[in-house]
Amino acid sequence: MIFPSPASRFAALRMGVRRAFRIGLLALVTAMSLGPLPLAAQSSGGFSHLLEKPVTGAPFSLKVARAAPGIVRLNWTVATGTYLYRDSLKASIAGRPVPLDLPAGETKDDAVFGPVQVFHHDLKADLAGLPEKGRLDVTFQGCSQDGICFPPETRAVALDTLAVGPGLKDGGMQDAAAVAVSPVEPEVLPQVTPETGGALADAGALFSAGLGWTLLAFLGFGLLLSVTPCVFPMIPILAGMLTGAGAGLTPRRGLLLTGVYVLAMAAAYGLVGAVAGWSGANLGLSARLSGRAGGGTLGRAALLGFGSALIVGPCVTPPLAGAMLYAASTGDAVTGAAALFMLGLGMGLPLLLVGLFGPALLPRSGLWLMRAKQVFGVLFLAVAILLAGRLLPPSVTLALLGVLLMASAGFFGAFDPITGTSGAAARLTRGTGLAVAVYGAALILGAAGGADDPLRPLAFLRAPAAMAAAPEGVRVTSPTAFEVALRGAGDGPILVDFTAAWCAICKTNAAIMATPALRARLEHLPRITADVTTTNEAARALMTRFGVVGPPTLFLVDRTGRELPGSRIVGPLSSEDLTRRLDAAGA
Amino acid sequence: MQRRHLLMLATGLAVAALVRPDTGAAQTVDVDGILRDPAAPTGGNPKGDVTVVAFLDYNCPFCKTSAPDLARAVKQDGKVRLVYKDWPILSEASVYGAQIALAAKYQGAYETVHKALMAIPGRGITKEQMLAAIQTSGVDLERLDADLKAHAADITALLRRNLSQAESLGLRGTPTYLIGPFKTSTLDSAGFKEAFAEARRRQAAE
Repeated sequence: MIFPSPASRFAALRMGVRRAFRIGLLALVTAMSLGPLPLAAQSSGGFSHLLEKPVTGAPFSLKVARAAPGIVRLNWTVATGTYLYRDSLKASIAGRPVPLDLPAGETKDDAVFGPVQVFHHDLKADLAGLPEKGRLDVTFQGCSQDGICFPPETRAVALDTLAVGPGLKDGGMQDAAAVAVSPVEPEVLPQVTPETGGALADAGALFSAGLGWTLLAFLGFGLLLSVTPCVFPMIPILAGMLTGAGAGLTPRRGLLLTGVYVLAMAAAYGLVGAVAGWSGANLGLSARLSGRAGGGTLGRAALLGFGSALIVGPCVTPPLAGAMLYAASTGDAVTGAAALFMLGLGMGLPLLLVGLFGPALLPRSGLWLMRAKQVFGVLFLAVAILLAGRLLPPSVTLALLGVLLMASAGFFGAFDPITGTSGAAARLTRGTGLAVAVYGAALILGAAGGADDPLRPLAFLRAPAAMAAAPEGVRVTSPTAFEVALRGAGDGPILVDFTAAWCAICKTNAAIMATPALRARLEHLPRITADVTTTNEAARALMTRFGVVGPPTLFLVDRTGRELPGSRIVGPLSSEDLTRRLDAAGA
Repeated sequence: MQRRHLLMLATGLAVAALVRPDTGAAQTVDVDGILRDPAAPTGGNPKGDVTVVAFLDYNCPFCKTSAPDLARAVKQDGKVRLVYKDWPILSEASVYGAQIALAAKYQGAYETVHKALMAIPGRGITKEQMLAAIQTSGVDLERLDADLKAHAADITALLRRNLSQAESLGLRGTPTYLIGPFKTSTLDSAGFKEAFAEARRRQAAE
């Protein structure tokens, strides 16, 4: 037990004082209540009388009821003289933890282990937003104040009937046949890290800050869109409408007409958002979108892109794609609808000014408008590519960006001839255009070379040397494969490296290990790379085998596969750290 | 003095309850297996007149609280034979703890590892923490690792025997100490001594 806070340190101090008293009391209570229960004399009849079980019932029981529509209430009964550990109360559905909103619990100031949160009395926890069918697994564990700890208990709750049945065995050796067999859990999806989760995290980031901010953001997007040529198709309609109202048009009447027009348009966008959310929920896109790997991503991207372009045209595609991606991934039709409604409203707001002051306020077309149209066109395409990039392989995204940059460079005159009469502005534009063209070309080359970092598209040119310097080692994904690799790894210390494709820090670590200083040392060191990209049972067993919480974890083992004490590095690596550990191990 | 009387009272009450014949004994209790399993690690005096059978889990806080008290009481008494029954029921790591402790028996270091594991404060101890604790205990880790592999089947078989013994006795949790004819859980050092004395008195009376 750790005592991190001053409060708990104080508790620790008090403990010393209390301990003597408590132990005396404990012994007394024990002798009185549980006491040495006489069973039978060994000399006559041996232990046969041990079959006499205590008459006391189960220390804990769980009942489940529906507290209100959509609210499932878990009620634990805690027998007198026993307590449940707060941190042992867990619920999960198909292996995914369901957070429990538990009361604070009482602090048990344990003499030896410091303060722990326990429940001495019955308690309840409400769960909302559970599926209507399926099984909720609940586990809990506790002890008796008499000084005995009960094995963890599990219960399976049928979510449709709320019937509580015995759960899967969990924890320690509960069943004689189960010894040495690790519990089998259903496969869970890879942990969401900033990288894998990126597709959803980015789109979701806008929404996660709260509905208010989301709506405000989309209103802002709408306003931005209104300064682009996107609103142009609306202007003739609006102008016609206002002119048709005749000479008697007052500013008030104009504002009303425009207001209705804008609201109706916003409502149309809102409908689109609702459809996106609804279809996401009903097509089960959320489940499929959460895993990047697997087929169908191209098809899905095409579907999203095609669908959104078809429905509202190019102007709203980027924000709509974002909203659709989010709405489809959460199935949240209301948020999707509200967001796109605000987008439409934002686009329409400047039109209200037109309604108020008459069509005279409308901007006159000219070269500036052409330029604005071009710039925004390029920007929108770029945003669209970046959004699509969440579903496309990174190198494809890179290639698309490259093509876009090359095309726009041409568009802005990068390849136009410059004459002696060209002005400074033209020359500057052309220079900038050329730079953009070169960068675009680099991106295309990078994509062809398999690069995925837009800032370092040509890094792959250097990669073969680095790869040769820092060999990956034997790649294993299961404990069995590890043992096989270990046998072929030689006598000396072996570097074991837990990594995963989605682990960003692992890549940084690999780069550090490829630096010349470490390269030389690692070259001759046998290395086993444990790849836990897929979180399946084998990977979990491999992690459990070494007590690894997650990648990156790096340590040295001897030829028997035993970890060398003090050799472990969890998380980001520094050259000094690794060198020190290699020195200590004599590797 | 008062405690002794209470203890006696509890004993008397329970004995009265035990006069009833056994009913529904579906599982047979292997008395000899519980007391004299040759594979089970032992401590104290092998020729002691009182046998203590300790059902323990390395993630059980009360086992940890009472472990030093039991060790002290057994040592001071000098005539108690102690049988360790590893009964890992609380966590997956508990099974691991039991396995490495039993593997240490092959180099005569069960109690060394047992003491190291019981000395880790807290509950929810991971395998990692257990391994770290025994690394400084002085046990030969190379040997332990080799024994763990070589005797894996024996260790598993022993753990299974312990489990079925505990089930046949209807034990509810850890720690459970069988002290002569008594069954008890957490006691302090004085409590253990008292129980030893009481067990002797009872054995002598029969």
